[in-house]
Amino acid sequence: MDDFERDLSRLMHDTREHTPYEPAHRQRLHAGIRARRRSRMLWKAGGSAVAVAGLSVGLAFLPGMLTRAQPADPRPQPATSPTSSPDGTPTTEPSATSPTPTLQPETSLPATTTSVTPSGTTTRPADPTPTATASESRTGTTPPAPPPSPTPTTVPPSVLDSGEPSASASTE
Amino acid sequence: MEQFRGADGFDDFAAARWSALLHVGRLLTGGDRQRAEDLVQEALVKLWFAWPKVAEQAPEAYVRTVLVRLAARSARRRWWGERPVDQLPDRADPGDVSSAVAERSRLEAALAQLSPKQRAAVVLRYCEDLPEAQVAQALGCPVGTARSHASRGVARLRQILSDTVRPVG
Repeated sequence: MDDFERDLSRLMHDTREHTPYEPAHRQRLHAGIRARRRSRMLWKAGGSAVAVAGLSVGLAFLPGMLTRAQPADPRPQPATSPTSSPDGTPTTEPSATSPTPTLQPETSLPATTTSVTPSGTTTRPADPTPTATASESRTGTTPPAPPPSPTPTTVPPSVLDSGEPSASASTE
Repeated sequence: MEQFRGADGFDDFAAARWSALLHVGRLLTGGDRQRAEDLVQEALVKLWFAWPKVAEQAPEAYVRTVLVRLAARSARRRWWGERPVDQLPDRADPGDVSSAVAERSRLEAALAQLSPKQRAAVVLRYCEDLPEAQVAQALGCPVGTARSHASRGVARLRQILSDTVRPVG
């Protein structure tokens, strides 16, 4: 800061005159605040009125637009599904009746037959659950592969030989 | 008088800072007292609406920034609603003719010849003693631009004031 800048700063500070804050200034300031507040409220009210008018116009025209668009819309899925059900009777009828029973025995029967032969004839009708047959099939498949394995595989032949499958199975 | 809710301390602040703000406004307008009063009042009105937010922080900086921007905007305006009257509203008292008033008039006349940005930068830098960063913040420009405005304004003032006091012959 050189001499001129120092003189400029001093000049700006020295020329400051004290101006009191008079009641007239205060009243004028409060009048300005009131006017600005009023104009703000008017702007807000006008903006909200415009928004409400726009929404009401939009809601008034929206149902008309929807009903006008409904007949023009083709709906293929509801039209095809009722007609296909009578036409496709040969395909649907067997699939409705047979698939689940036929498929389940086909898949489960080999497992049950393999498992039933060691366990005995009386347990086959008494075991309709697939979980029991699956567990037995696991045990049943394992016996032929490792004959010298411990208790579960060696016991059924001995039971068959003794002629009391249910008693020997229950004791295990 | 209507009580203004949510503006506790605003009247005290306005009363305390009125004189200083008016001085800054007068320098920013190049000595136009009436326009300076209008600017200060408008800045205080804007401050009143922002008072709940800035009262605890920096109301002085806020109102100073508003004042500078209002002064720059009013300098771009061509007409301020002034109408000619038969008699001058403010007449200088005979006791006012002093060296202080003469110096102030000379300074205000010199400041009036600067551009609004240069004037604001010089006033904030040398009258309010603000650092360059705060001058730039008040002007809404980078620090380098504010520094450039201030240095060019000072150079112009140096030229104007040296011309006015240059001895004849």
